Order: sequence, then C-alpha cells, then structure tokens
Amino acid sequence: MAISSVDKYARQKSIEILRKKFASVAKRILEGKRPVLIMPKRVLSNTIYDMKKKLLLLGPEMKRRSLLDVNEARKFMQTLLMASIIYEALVNDEYPTIRDLYYRGKHTISYRDILGRLHHENTWDEQRESDAVIRDIEVFLGVLREEMLILSKEKGKVVGNLVIRSGDDVIDLSKMGHGAYAIEPTPDLIEFKDIDAEFVLVVEKDAVFQQLHRYGFWKKYKAILITSAGQPDRATRRFVRRLSEELKLPIYILTDADPYGWYIYSVFKIGSITLSYESERLATPNAKFIGVSMTDIFGEEEAAKNIKKLASIFGKDLKNVLSKPRKKPYLSDKERKNYIIKAKKKDVERAVELVGYDVADKLISNPEIKKYIRQRKMGVSGYPWFRTPEWIKEISIFFSKLAKLEIEAMASKGLKFLADTYIPTKIETGDWID
Amino acid sequence: MSAAAPTERYRAISPAEFFYKYREIAGFSNPVRALYQAVRELVENALDATDSHGILPNIKIIIEKADENREFYRVTVEDNGIGLPPHVVPEAFGRVLFSSKYILRQTRGMFGLGAKVAILYGQMTTGRPVEVITSQPNLKRIYYFKLRIDINKNEPIIIERGSWRKNRDWHGTIVSMTLEGDWSRAKQRIKDYILRTAVVTPYANIVFMTPDGEIYYYERVIDKLPRPPKEVKPHPYGVDLELMKRIRDNGSFSTVKEMLMKSFQGIGNVTASSLLEIAGISPDLNPKSLSDKQLLELVNVMKNYKRFRSPTSEALSPLGEEVIKAGLKRIYDPEFVEAVTRRPSAYQGHPFIVEVGIAYGGKVPLSSDKYPTLLRYANKIPLLYDEGSDVTTDVVKGISWDQYLVKLPAPIIVLVHICSTKVPFKGVGKESIADVKEIRNEVRLAIQEVARKLRTYLSKKLKEEEKKKRVVSLAKYVPEVVRALTIILGDGHGAKAKMLEEKLVEIVSLRTGIPKDEVYKVVKSVEIGV
Repeated sequence: MAISSVDKYARQKSIEILRKKFASVAKRILEGKRPVLIMPKRVLSNTIYDMKKKLLLLGPEMKRRSLLDVNEARKFMQTLLMASIIYEALVNDEYPTIRDLYYRGKHTISYRDILGRLHHENTWDEQRESDAVIRDIEVFLGVLREEMLILSKEKGKVVGNLVIRSGDDVIDLSKMGHGAYAIEPTPDLIEFKDIDAEFVLVVEKDAVFQQLHRYGFWKKYKAILITSAGQPDRATRRFVRRLSEELKLPIYILTDADPYGWYIYSVFKIGSITLSYESERLATPNAKFIGVSMTDIFGEEEAAKNIKKLASIFGKDLKNVLSKPRKKPYLSDKERKNYIIKAKKKDVERAVELVGYDVADKLISNPEIKKYIRQRKMGVSGYPWFRTPEWIKEISIFFSKLAKLEIEAMASKGLKFLADTYIPTKIETGDWID
Repeated sequence: MSAAAPTERYRAISPAEFFYKYREIAGFSNPVRALYQAVRELVENALDATDSHGILPNIKIIIEKADENREFYRVTVEDNGIGLPPHVVPEAFGRVLFSSKYILRQTRGMFGLGAKVAILYGQMTTGRPVEVITSQPNLKRIYYFKLRIDINKNEPIIIERGSWRKNRDWHGTIVSMTLEGDWSRAKQRIKDYILRTAVVTPYANIVFMTPDGEIYYYERVIDKLPRPPKEVKPHPYGVDLELMKRIRDNGSFSTVKEMLMKSFQGIGNVTASSLLEIAGISPDLNPKSLSDKQLLELVNVMKNYKRFRSPTSEALSPLGEEVIKAGLKRIYDPEFVEAVTRRPSAYQGHPFIVEVGIAYGGKVPLSSDKYPTLLRYANKIPLLYDEGSDVTTDVVKGISWDQYLVKLPAPIIVLVHICSTKVPFKGVGKESIADVKEIRNEVRLAIQEVARKLRTYLSKKLKEEEKKKRVVSLAKYVPEVVRALTIILGDGHGAKAKMLEEKLVEIVSLRTGIPKDEVYKVVKSVEIGV
C-alpha cells in the first residue's frame, strides 16, 4: 500500500500522543494510584458561547472517569478498549470508519458474580455507545478523529479555481467536469497549492450547487463553490474554515429560509452543541449568512411592524437594524404567493428554540399555534447567538407570517436571477447577516 | 422434687377421682399425648431438681420398647439433682398429693403432681410399677424403690426397696416408669420438645435415646445457670377467698393484723392497719374467729387498695440474655444472635418478666412467609401447641418485619420466654398464653428491642454485600483494561500485563476494602470473547 507522506506524519503524531497519554495512565496504576482519565466534560451544561470569539466552546469543567466508580467503570473500560483499537488501526496503516471501530471493539465479557453465577456483557451494544467513546477519546487526547485517520462518509463537495494536493496527487478543482471534488474526511491533510478566487459560496442544497456549477457561476464570479448537502459534516466545516483562515477568503452561506437553514449557518459559523470541543478548529467565525433571508421575501416593512411589537423586550436596540430606505422584497406578490410554504408546527418549535419563547409569543397571531407553542416551549430562552438584532428581525417575520421558503424557489424564478441578480446583488450591497 | 420438700404439708384427695377428673387437663387423653406428657413431666422435674438448686444439669432420657407385642414404653429419666430424702420417696411417687403450700415460686411443674398422674396412667395401662433410685449429696447411701399406687386407698405400695453404699459422689434421681404409648406418632413432638428444651438449657448436658436407636446429645456450652427463684409470699393483689381461708385455717397468728403482715409481701404495720380499717375489722381479732363474709370483705379491700408496692420479682427465674444466646447458638449456630431480658413488670399482682432472643441465619430453618419461626416458653417450659391463639404469636405477626430488613420467609427464629409466678395460660391445655395487656406490651417492646439490633446487623451485612457487588462491577473490567493498555504500550509487555493486573487488583481491593483474593476470583473468572 502506498501511504502518502502527510498521512504517515499524521499517524506518527497521533500514535505518539496516544502512547504518551496512556503510558501515564499505566504509570499511575503501577504507582498504586486511582486509575482515572481526566477529560473535559462533554455535556450541554459545559458548552459555552464565547461572545468575544463568537464560538461555541467546551467549558472549563473536567470530569474524572475512574475505574473505581461503579457508574464510570464501564465507560472507563470502553475508553481504553476504543483507544487500543484506534491504536492498532494507526500502527497497521488502516483507515477505519466509526462503524468499523464499533464492530472491532464489540465482543462479550463473561464473568462470575459473588454467588458464582455466570454473566455475559457486551463491551458495547449500539454504535451510539462506541461513537460517544470516540468523542471522549478526541477530547481526552486533544486529537481529532481526522488526525487519527478515522474516516466517515464523504458528503461535502467543492469546485472552483483551486489546486490542491491530496495524498501524493495534485488536483485542479476547476477541472472536475460536471462532477465535483468530494471533500475527504481528513481535510487537514489537504495542501492548498494555487488559488484564483475572491469568495466562497456554500450552498446548503446539493441540487442548487449542481445548478450553479453547470451555470458556470464559480467561473463567472471567481468563486469557490461548496455544498454541505444538508447538515455539514466535520470535513466540510474544517475545509471551509481553512479556506477562510488560510486563504483569507470571505465565506457566504446560502440556505433555505427556515429554522433548519439558520441552524446550518450557525453550525458553520460558531460550531455545534454536540461537537463543541471541535469548534475552535471547525467553526468559521467570519462566515456570513447571505440568504435566503425573510426580508428578501417579504421586505422590511413587515419587519418594521414586528419590531414595534418587540419594543417591550428589546427596547430601542432593534430600530437600528432597519435600513433606510426600507428594503423592497425580491419577489412579487404573485411569486411570493406561489413559492412560500406554510410553516409546520415543528418548524415553529425549532425557531422558538433558536430565538426564545418571548419573541414567538409576541408575534404569532395564529391562536392554535400560539397555544401549541405555549404548551411546549414556554420559558425557552433561545440561543444567545440568535438573539442579536439582525436575527430577531429575520426570525420575527417567520413568526408573523408563519412561512418559509426553499432556495430552489429562487432558482425557479430563474437560475439566471439567482446566479446573476440575487447572489451578486446581496454580496455587492453587503446585504447579509454576520 | 420441690413438691416433696419435707417441710411442706399435703392434703390427700381420692386419686381415682382426681385421675378421672384431671387426666385430660394433665395431658393424658390418649397414648400419643400420654407418652409425650410423661417425658415432659419427668424431664421438667429433673431440671427443677438441678438448675433451681444451683447444679449444672446432666439429664439422660431413655425411651425403650417394654413389651414385644404391646405398645408399652419404658421411660427413664436420670438427673444429677439434689435427690430426695429416702423417707419421702413413697409419698412423693406413690400418693397423689395436693400441695398445701401457698408460698410462691416459679417452677416448671404444673401442680407438682404431673409426674404422679403419669405414674398412675402407666400403672393403669400396663400394671407395671415405677422404679426410683435416688440419693442426696450429703447421704452415704443410694436408695432404691419399686412402687405402685393403691388407687382406692391412695397409698403407696412398696414392692421392693433397698440401698447400697455410694462408692462415688453421686447424687440425683433416676425414675423409670412404663406406660402404654404411641411412639411413632408421638416421636416428632417428643423430639421437638427436647430440642426446644435444649435451646433454653445450654448449661445442661442432655442425652436422649429413642426406641429407634437414635441418640441425641446436646452438650453443655456454658457453665452459667439462670438465677434460681426465691420463695416469696404472695402479693395482696393476687389474693382470693380460697387463699385467705387456707391462711386463716392453717396459720397460727394471734391477730388479724399479724396474719396480714406475715402472710403477704408489701404489707407492713401501716398498710395492715389501714386495710383493716377500711374493711371494718378490728386489728386485734383472732384470725380464726373471722367469718367467711369478713374474709371476703378483706379480700375485696385488698384487691382495690391502690398503694401497694409492685410485686417483687425475686420469685422469678429468668433465663438471662447470656443463656438465651448460648442456647440459640448451641442449636442453630446462627450468624446473628441477640437477646434481652426485660425489667420485671406485673399484671394483677403477679410479677412477670419477658425475655426475647432472635437468631438469624446459619442453621436456622426458613420461616413461613407470614411471620418468623416462633419458640414460645413459659417458665422455661416450651409451649408446642396452640401457637395460633397465643398472644405472642399475635404480637410477632403484628410487627412489620420489613422495617427490620427481614424479608420473609427468612432464616429467623424469635424466642419468647415469659416467666411469672402465675403465667396466664389460655384454656386447660396450658399451651398458649392469654392476651393480657401488660404482657402483650412487654412482649412487643422486647421483640422490638432485639429486632432493632438485628436490623443494625442486617443493614451492615447488606452494605457489605453491596460492596461485594460493587467490586464485581469494577473487577470484571480489569482484564479488558489490562489488555487494552498492553496493546498501546507496545509488544513484549507480557510481564507488564501481569504487573498491571496485580496492581489493579490491589487498588480495587484497597479502595473497596474487599480482600485481594476475592477481587482476584472475579478477575480470574473473566473471559473475553471475540
């Protein structure tokens, strides 16, 4: 097997860290000390939104996972078992997926209790368990799974005037035909060789990505075009981050105008709650939400009405977000009527989680939905990074109209409109949410 | 044989009349009951002749088939007690006597005449005489008698008598009698009776030989005897007209006041005067001149008088906590045993003491799922029948054993001993105790007191078990942890694996307080599948 040199280097580094960390565990044991693994707590309560860095970060709380604690002993064993499997894969030049690791470590431990009865116990039963242990090892070692050459399914795609080196090959991302380069699970092993682009456009929807690609959008506007195909995986996030950090390119994110789209944007920008320990490497604080925004659909008049209603909560802060003169919608009344979709209860619930119950309660006029939300989401305070004036303005329209819109609708108005009018105008006028 | 103490007086009644009147009360209603009752009477007399007099008992009980064709059994009971003066032996065994004594003392025997009923029954069913061998500690000879009872005349007939020189320092009594019985149906009862007797006499050597050729031997485990009972005068609360009449007729007191002061406990000069004043009887009257009506008035005044001191408990002979514990240990080898002797209490002028012992685990048999196995005793005598109607049973049933961490059915025995100068038996069978409020209370408090100690023990044990379970839940992962660490630390670390395992076992043992070998046992039992 031909192993690329970057790959080899990454392996060697991970092996060293693994050995060093676990040698100290063994040393403690041989000294007769409590066998413990000290690692950051990976729970919601220890997830902190860093206002300055604008990142979701793992808090300072540490947990001591001890073999001598009945509640932690099994996890202790699982952590060591997983570490040994990962170690074996590393030294054997393998590239296991998380599912492979699950199968490699799954076996039975049989033992006898104090009455001599035989018991059987699986090291782990579901992949959910082994996946959690992998995340524990990442935080314990301070090494991401990509650096340990653990693979996951490729999801993100990229095209554009960018030449990269992946493994021992040099690839020109402008020569991918109708296809695209699948962003590899180990994006840190990619080397950027040559670049001729002015910005990065990340599209949530794969279909819209393909349309823009065929239309030649990236050539015409000197863009790197990327899709995450829904929720972004770690590799796509890391790749986008590197484009921002290393190549200093502005990042624009285009999603559906709905709570899921907004959350996808926030994952790119500040990180996710479940993987907050990776935010510092995966999040792109400079990423901008370019659309589709609610004001693009309904115009700012609607927002102005809402903002008055919210004065009791936010005071005058909100007034400044309205532009002068007030922005007109990109869609005509008729188009809007055709394209918007009625929000489902689930969408509304999700939106409340993002921005808070108080906002929703002030704006929702539909009594049935209002009641439904009161029953389920009363007291939900929302995420601080969505309680900014810009986002409140955006989401307020969602509540007052109870409507959402998919990017495809903009393409339906005409691919030319999306590629040559909508996106360029938004970028030129700086009409985004940062 | 307390009934035969030379200073006591006897009143004879027709033994035939007595026998027919009382044999069922005395427990001789059929061959099963009779054999059991005969053994009981003789054993209880044997114990009274020893432990009540400060002698560590050696008791031997032999039951043997006495006729090839008929169900005749010869019962021999031997003790090392104080023996009998030879001249009272014919009277003691050959005449049905009614004790005249009104002195009170806790003894096992029921009327002091149970043994005589047994002899009478034996004579009536088999025609065979009773044989008695006895000697007292200060006598130089051993005396031998073969007797029968002349039923009509109520007189002993001496068939044979003799004596021989003691060539060793033996004292005690051996009684042999033959009666018609039903061993096969009585044996479980008799074995039970002797076992239960053995439970409360750990200070006695008891040998029991059955007609089936079995030998049961209960070896003495302690040298401590229960406090012997003292003879005391009756307490005025317990007085009745019959008793008063007997005192009047048999006593030789010059005045009524003197009679009261000398016949009862707790009556001094002042109390006697005020009693007589209330009754309207002149203190200087000659007691013989008192009419029955006056006596009755006096009895009523005494019964209603509120200021008597509580009756003395000196007449009582509780087993004591040590004896109960040793006894339960001797038979059941339990993992937990505790006992309590309550302070004396009284009901209707009768002093009583309640004692409770609890044995748990070990060889204690599993109880029912309703309530713990109950061993009931009254004045050291085991009560085997009518358990359901006994106040003790009711109390034991009423206790929520869950609260004491006892999950029924459980290996638990509750022993309850009630001693009193007058045990309030229920019915004629004398096998269960009546529901007397004061006794019920004492029994409940005593059981609760011991049960609390059991609870403490069980809760500690439970914690210990939890600890062991915890160790399993840790130790079972040791091999996997060692394996994983050895893989990461590199090859050629076989020796290191051994060291890691040893250390982990040591750490687990140290942190949990469970011995290393027990942790090792779990670790060694682990198999890692693939």
